[in-house]
Amino acid sequence: MGTLVVENIVAGYGSGPNILRGLSLTIEAGKTYCIIGPNGAGKSTLVKVIAGLLKPREGRIMYKGEPINGLRADQVLQRGICYVPSDRSLFPDMTVKENLRMGGYILRNSSLVEKRIEQIFIQFPILKEKRSQMAKTLSGGQQQLTSIARAMVLKPELIMLDEPSLGLAPKVVQQIFGTIAILRDQGLTILLVEQNARKGLENADQGVVLDLGMNSFERPAVEVLHDPRIQELYLGKRSRPLQAEAAQ
Amino acid sequence: MIQIIQVLILGLALGGVYALMSSGMTLIFGVMRIVNLAHAAFIIMAAYISFWLFKVWRVDPIVSMAVTMPVMFLVGVLYYRVLFASRADNPRFTDITVLVTFASALVIEGVLSYLFTGIYRSTSPVYATRPFLIGPFFVPQSQVYATLISIALIVSLWLFLQYTRVGNAIRATMQNRNSAQVVGVNVALVSMLSFGIGLAMAGAAGSLLSFIFTFFPSKHVAWIGMLMSLVVLGGMGSLMGAMLSSFLLAVIASYVSFYWGPTWAPITFYLALFLILLFRPQGLLGKKMDG
Repeated sequence: MGTLVVENIVAGYGSGPNILRGLSLTIEAGKTYCIIGPNGAGKSTLVKVIAGLLKPREGRIMYKGEPINGLRADQVLQRGICYVPSDRSLFPDMTVKENLRMGGYILRNSSLVEKRIEQIFIQFPILKEKRSQMAKTLSGGQQQLTSIARAMVLKPELIMLDEPSLGLAPKVVQQIFGTIAILRDQGLTILLVEQNARKGLENADQGVVLDLGMNSFERPAVEVLHDPRIQELYLGKRSRPLQAEAAQ
Repeated sequence: MIQIIQVLILGLALGGVYALMSSGMTLIFGVMRIVNLAHAAFIIMAAYISFWLFKVWRVDPIVSMAVTMPVMFLVGVLYYRVLFASRADNPRFTDITVLVTFASALVIEGVLSYLFTGIYRSTSPVYATRPFLIGPFFVPQSQVYATLISIALIVSLWLFLQYTRVGNAIRATMQNRNSAQVVGVNVALVSMLSFGIGLAMAGAAGSLLSFIFTFFPSKHVAWIGMLMSLVVLGGMGSLMGAMLSSFLLAVIASYVSFYWGPTWAPITFYLALFLILLFRPQGLLGKKMDG
């Protein structure tokens, strides 16, 4: 099966310090992983390295038994691994449909891309409705949806979502997690990086905790969610009594 | 009234050429955030290629575009590859490009002065001095040809950007470089190609200029100022903006030149630059930049 194995990855930006310091992780096909950890733990760096956008300094990444570290971003896409960046970065002066077409850029087969876009429109009618609108005129939630749909044009086996709920209103966050649930039902392997740890873990099979770019701690998501140390550190349990006091 | 229209016609007849000159520069900025201060020097380099072909083999300057465009495309690709490719990730890339291209302009000027001396040159095909007479109006044939060809080239460039796979990749890179990488666009290759295309446009402009203006190696100093104001007025990186500002300023400069004398015409460009930076720094059709 399409197992992704990350082995002793060391990575950082430019001539800067190492952000990931020998990180190892195994992602099994068909499961949803939620990666949590404090700022600077290297969550986003990890997905960028896997996506081929950042070359690791050491270590290797194996997908289906073949090394993929050192491949260019388009080559990683060819293997069925897609990445949805955290800033919902669309092409602002292209329409929703043109953005989706760019999602199929590496396919070179425009009729296939059109067919995939039609399928996406059936799945997400809102995108069909907005297809001729410039991406910059969409709401934050619609932009995030377009960004995910753009990755779906390639029919990936593994999709990496970097903070999909960042900066969205609670109701919209709910919708985005609804979309992620649809992807789960389709049997995709999902790697979810979330600031909103509780929401992320509730929607995942496995929870992975990163700290200082190395010791990743991996457990079923439910266990992570109820681990008292994790609750204290990332799920804001300690602040509850304070909120209760304030309410009185 | 006839005079007013006559001046308008002369202005419009120059606008297309200005648009072609600025189109390459705005494309280069849009895709790579390179402020190409050597753009006018490259245009003059192409004008000298046309001049030389005309002088030695009597090649019509319009025909010589078949040489200048591919030659300048290659020059652009090599120039980008050698000087910019390895620096593209530098956080101060745009600052670097200002210095590098300024130095390049001086080098080009020096080499051209050495090869062709500082004498005023121009090519003189038969149409260079003939006018079209339409009723009471006259239009120099050279300017009509130059502007029509310029518009045809800009429209082709626009169609290329809008409807081809590579064109879409260029537009995507202009709009969001990171996102382009995410969907698998090889931005390094796109950047190199775009620089080539930008200089091919400069090459075409050089050939056309060779029969409507006189030129000499240091003339790029006057033209780069004009080009900067056209590109900034249009909105840096906006092809349509560059076209709009080129026609607008060419017409205004034409009136200024008619009523106050040709010495004052360049003022139009600098005044426009001054006013746009003061009131709408993102340009007429430009976007506010965040990085």
